[in-house]
Amino acid sequence: MAFLDAIMWPFSWAVSFILSTFHSVLTFLGLDTDSGWNWTVSIILLVLVVRVILIPLFVRQIKSQRGMQIVQPELQKLQAKYKGKKDPVSRQQMVAEQQALFKKHKVNPFMTCLPILAQMPIFFALFWMLNRIGRTDGGYQVDGYYALSPEEVIGFSSSDIFGVGMSDIFLLGFNAEPTMWNVVILTSVMIVAMVATQFFTQKQLMSKNMSEAALTGQFAQTQKMMLYVLPLVFVIGGVNFPVGVLIYWTATNFWTMGQQWWVIRNNPTPGSLAEKELNLRRAAKGLPPVGEEARKAREEAEKPKGQHLGREAQPNRKKKKKKKGQR
Amino acid sequence: MCEQHSWLRHSDYYVPDGETPGLPGPVPTAEELRRGYWRWLRKAPAMPLILFITFWRKLISPLYGQVCSFYPSCSAYGLEAVTVHGLLRGSALTTWRILRCNPWTGGGIDHVPVSRRIWPGHVVPRIIETNHPPMDK
Repeated sequence: MAFLDAIMWPFSWAVSFILSTFHSVLTFLGLDTDSGWNWTVSIILLVLVVRVILIPLFVRQIKSQRGMQIVQPELQKLQAKYKGKKDPVSRQQMVAEQQALFKKHKVNPFMTCLPILAQMPIFFALFWMLNRIGRTDGGYQVDGYYALSPEEVIGFSSSDIFGVGMSDIFLLGFNAEPTMWNVVILTSVMIVAMVATQFFTQKQLMSKNMSEAALTGQFAQTQKMMLYVLPLVFVIGGVNFPVGVLIYWTATNFWTMGQQWWVIRNNPTPGSLAEKELNLRRAAKGLPPVGEEARKAREEAEKPKGQHLGREAQPNRKKKKKKKGQR
Repeated sequence: MCEQHSWLRHSDYYVPDGETPGLPGPVPTAEELRRGYWRWLRKAPAMPLILFITFWRKLISPLYGQVCSFYPSCSAYGLEAVTVHGLLRGSALTTWRILRCNPWTGGGIDHVPVSRRIWPGHVVPRIIETNHPPMDK
């Protein structure tokens, strides 16, 4: 634990510092110091801070995802080309071509999961904090917890909303004698909210924001899996996590949903249903359609979405190659 | 030592595309032979693992076909790593490679890091030749 604590130190410190700051500000604004609502709002504000910081990462994730969608048909062609060729030379060639394809479209498959990974440390820091401040044996109620003062630790751990403490857990509440129904109901509501927002986000992405080419093949399959696996993760995690963590998780899911909605509405994937809808809205306002040029270019060069991703790189490279060949 | 030219280093297989891998370099020094030529006693610890991976590649890999997005595939990488780096470093490299073999890394050409090993030309492990075929430019 000491080793993990050392790694987590900056995150634990940052999370407790942000929470402590927001709690002080809210108290100053007139909320009751020991009220659970004060801490709940602090956690939600923490989510806002984290998600605003992560916006650049999210932008890169979207770019990578779109690149992945463009690459998918070409990847299938490549696989067909090397089908049944098992000698080391063709295998190596295939992998090299695949790598070149990713590079050309600036796709980094790792980027697609980075925003989730980046939130993990903060998540764990919060999880540990809530698990520990409730215990009387850890000494945190005497020494404080990172940036939280001892008074804040005691206040945080004894605060509640609807009679449910910040460190309460569904499973413990359910197994308690007598069953703590308020814990069970509140956590259930939050788990349902998390699953619903996640499901809606993913469904919307798949039905509206994927180009026709991307709707078939492995990429779509992965997305479909996410649609059903993530809710399962939420349910399994949800019954084991303290209320404070669930507040964080639910709030961050709502943020994701809003962010996704905004992106799909204003900056849809070229060739997707959402883009058609955007162009209809623009036409109603008398504005020129978006992405139309890209579509024309795609018909000519069979390269979907060339305009969006490779504005600097792609056309230039092509021209250069042709010139070299001619000379 | 009239067979001096038949010594092959692991690094002899790392050549740019278009050149032939596996051609003997300069004559090895006594020091290089002492450090890089592993006889059976030094090779022994890695043997069980080498046998296991060989067995895996013969019997189990064919069951699910080619799924690895890297070149060499994870099992080929593992076999070469354990063969040329020994049990400890080889296992560590293999573990790290298997961890990287997931949908989010995208694969690519990823050869085993060069080791100091050296062999008489006729006993170079076959996996090294398999993993480093001559490539066109």
